[in-house]
Amino acid sequence: MNLHSRILAAGALAALAGLSALPAQAQSPAYPTRAITMIVPFAAGGPTDVISRIVTAHMAQTLGQSIIIENVVGAGGTTATTRAARATNDGYTLITGHMGTHAASVPLYPKLAYHPEKDFEPIALLAGTPILILAKKDFAPKDLKEFATYVKANVDKVNAAHAGVGSVSHVSCELLNSVLEIKPTGVPFNGTGPAMNALVGGQVDYMCDQIVNAVPQIKGGTIKAYAIATPERNPSLPDVPTTKEAGLPAFQAQAWNAIFAPKGTPPEVIAKLNAAAVKALDDENVRKRLLDLGSVIPPTAERTPASLAALVKSEIAKWTPVVKPAGN
Amino acid sequence: MSETPSHGPVKYIMPKWIRGPQDFVGGVALIAIALFALWASSDLQGMRGFSFGAGTAPRMFGFLLLGLGIAVMIVGLVTDGEHITTYAWRGPLFVSLAILSFAFMIRPMGLIFSAFTSFVISALGTPETRWGQTIIVGICLTAFCSFLFPYALGLPLQMLPKFMIR
Amino acid sequence: MGDVFSNLGLGFGVVFQLVQWTPAFLGGVSIPIPVNILLCLIGALVGTLVGVLPGIGTIATVAMLLPITFGLPPVGALIMLAGIYYGAQYGGSTTSILVNIPGEAGSVVTALDGFQMAKQGRAGPALAIAAMGSFFAGCVATVLIAVLGAPLTKLALAFGPAEYFSLMVLGLIFAVVLAKGSVLKAIAMIVFGLLLSMVGSDIETGASRMAFNIPELADGLGFATLAMGLFGFAEIIRNLDAGGETDRQLVQQKVTGLMPTRKDLKDCTPAILRGTALGSILGILPGGGAVIASFAAYTMEKKISKNPERFGRGAIEGVAAPESANNAAAQTSFIPLLTLGIPPNAVMALMVGAMTIHGIVPGPQVMQKQPELVWGMIASMWVGNLMLLIINLPLVGIWVRLLRVPYRLMFPSIVVFCAIGIYSVNNAPTDVMLAGAFGLLGYWLIKHDFEPAPLLLGMVLGPLMEENLRRALLISRGDWTVFATRPVSAVLMAIAAFLLVLAVLPSLRKKRDEVFVESEN
Repeated sequence: MNLHSRILAAGALAALAGLSALPAQAQSPAYPTRAITMIVPFAAGGPTDVISRIVTAHMAQTLGQSIIIENVVGAGGTTATTRAARATNDGYTLITGHMGTHAASVPLYPKLAYHPEKDFEPIALLAGTPILILAKKDFAPKDLKEFATYVKANVDKVNAAHAGVGSVSHVSCELLNSVLEIKPTGVPFNGTGPAMNALVGGQVDYMCDQIVNAVPQIKGGTIKAYAIATPERNPSLPDVPTTKEAGLPAFQAQAWNAIFAPKGTPPEVIAKLNAAAVKALDDENVRKRLLDLGSVIPPTAERTPASLAALVKSEIAKWTPVVKPAGN
Repeated sequence: MSETPSHGPVKYIMPKWIRGPQDFVGGVALIAIALFALWASSDLQGMRGFSFGAGTAPRMFGFLLLGLGIAVMIVGLVTDGEHITTYAWRGPLFVSLAILSFAFMIRPMGLIFSAFTSFVISALGTPETRWGQTIIVGICLTAFCSFLFPYALGLPLQMLPKFMIR
Repeated sequence: MGDVFSNLGLGFGVVFQLVQWTPAFLGGVSIPIPVNILLCLIGALVGTLVGVLPGIGTIATVAMLLPITFGLPPVGALIMLAGIYYGAQYGGSTTSILVNIPGEAGSVVTALDGFQMAKQGRAGPALAIAAMGSFFAGCVATVLIAVLGAPLTKLALAFGPAEYFSLMVLGLIFAVVLAKGSVLKAIAMIVFGLLLSMVGSDIETGASRMAFNIPELADGLGFATLAMGLFGFAEIIRNLDAGGETDRQLVQQKVTGLMPTRKDLKDCTPAILRGTALGSILGILPGGGAVIASFAAYTMEKKISKNPERFGRGAIEGVAAPESANNAAAQTSFIPLLTLGIPPNAVMALMVGAMTIHGIVPGPQVMQKQPELVWGMIASMWVGNLMLLIINLPLVGIWVRLLRVPYRLMFPSIVVFCAIGIYSVNNAPTDVMLAGAFGLLGYWLIKHDFEPAPLLLGMVLGPLMEENLRRALLISRGDWTVFATRPVSAVLMAIAAFLLVLAVLPSLRKKRDEVFVESEN
């Protein structure tokens, strides 16, 4: 397809979509013309990174340009997110945000240099990672109901591990504690690995964590899971009941990952990226790899930029009363 | 460490009653660093019941360094020790400038320009530099880096200045 | 025992697996290719070459090269990553010895004597003994993992916060013993390092500590930033100041042999043995064991030695012992990953990431479920170590020749490499500036005879010590006696106290001899 016919095609598409801003469309007919940078606010190999890599690999095929993953770590992902908020809004710098960077960070860091709603254009929700209530293998309570009674009765004795302030395991545990109306001693660790090690070693009693790291440990019998905080059971752990089934319906949490662009990125670019992401999520291979990780793939209706914007809004509202500002 | 034979000791700065100026000044500087750290961590919370607050450990180490600084200073006062050697200005200045120029140029100007500039500026750090040679080596090194980092290692480094990409 | 052999057999079978390659141009003739061996070789080679660039340490190298392995089959990807890991680690030692820039905490002590050896024209023997010691340690550790991997896991799980805190206290005492000059100043430097390690966010509350609202400081100072500054840049500035050219010419005249002499080997053998033993044990402990392995080994050699004053002035044991310990620890640190599926350090976390990309999330059943993966990896460790020896012994000559490059051309190149290296770790220009600032600080420290090595170790151990202390106190509800009542912790504390007495006593006694030490310089 030569340049001329591309312009025609873009114009035709725009006309079909009922958009009137034809001249603006014609100005950037061939986005993307060079490689796109996708900032991942966490280290390579973490759940967010893995999900980003799986989805962007497929998106790159659709878009016909490579997508370079740039892992920028620091301050619970907010360093990277700040950088993405300030990046040029031409669609060549994107970010995979998640529950922490685009929701829980708002109450956690009062001096946050960006606002998830005001500084970003939502593109598409990629996948949710369910959260589990986990305990050391010889922890006395047998099910979630017993667990709730036990921790309430022994709140001075129990220790809850988490993977560091602002981590998914931290904020979701705060939510669990607020649902149970308890304030146990929280023992901070530097990342999920050390926290899991302490739980397996029996040095702490319980924690909340994402499904990815926990499944092999649960199957290996080194720790136990009381419930999964999603509306439905997960195929990778069919025996673990949902919080609703187990009697704690108020505890619902998922670590979601989604693509955002800096505010002011042209709408046709957003539309193109969204279409590529949606297409990736419909691909058999992509779906299989995400499901293998225990992820929940959003249904088609939840993949639009508008529904992502609504999700961000509701998540900020959800975490604000639960998460205390850092430093307190 | 007397690995700097080309410069003689500077005796005249310090009064005679300081017998080990090197340690004395070292101790004073440690005290200053400790005080600065104590000031910088003064806004942090102390002990919270039985558990440490954010500021407990920094303050603990701050006071410890203060004590050690005083001890080093006293050692410098009462025992005979080394004199302070002169500081060269050329090396530190140009090496620092080279590092700074790289830090400021890498984002807007890309790897090629910032690596070469930083090479040339740091070469100013010694009078022994032979310019013809330095420029040739600088070009080779820049070419090598521009191949190695983005292509061989696949790092997301920008090669050319921003204005040339658009 | 029979199990071990059949398992190792399975592992080597995986490593030596041949894939039939039938290219069209040969008309149907297929060539068997040992794909995994090749991947191991490529990994070790690339890891060495990247690790050798000043400014890029082990974690950065593995993180950088991780995406390259995504396109490979899982076993091959892990074998290659393991190769990159060893290669990077060995490459880091090379820069420590040649240009005094440690790429990671483990090679800080290698720089102490290794760089002095290089200055005396003995870079060749230093590099060669590092390779040989590492290879020996690698062989022992591979066998250890195969035979005792599963039972040793219990040790890793028995270590709770109280034990780690005591271990870190012991580590700090090692850092005191490292110093070649005044003990008082060494302690001051350790505390300075501890203080620097406090910068960043508080682990328990997330409060920002001494970060002055600079986003790049929010997670604290990076090891690479500090090491490049205090060692790399400071060394350059000091050399320029001292007339680097003449210094270097002296080195070139002094270059003697490339390989260790028979006497060197004799001196080193016990050091390598002890280093391997110490490193193997410490490596098993996730969360900090491997970090202190190399300087525990160094401290032990210095304390055992009949003439400890040679340490820090080019003692070959001071290179052999920590290098062996470091490599043994690097190897045994795989144990928690292979038996529990829990990554004990940042590099292992990256490897878990690589497995996750391939859809394998390791867990306690990884040995039963993926035996070819686990045993293939264990076998590849040994092969990787062999590769390193094969790659590096010939490279020694090239590295030593590199020292003949005139310093006026060498130092700007190091500046540029370091700057790119630091920048590439986090794509943060501020990190480069910070390293520059630490370079000036390092220059000042040299001028006042403060040693940077204890500072760097304090900086590495600080967070581990504080975090584990706080965890231990949280779990014990503020009861400080846990450190004495838990047996392992009590033993570690006792050793620490004993070593401290050993370290301080002679220095008090030796005060009057100090004049001689000074004049010897």
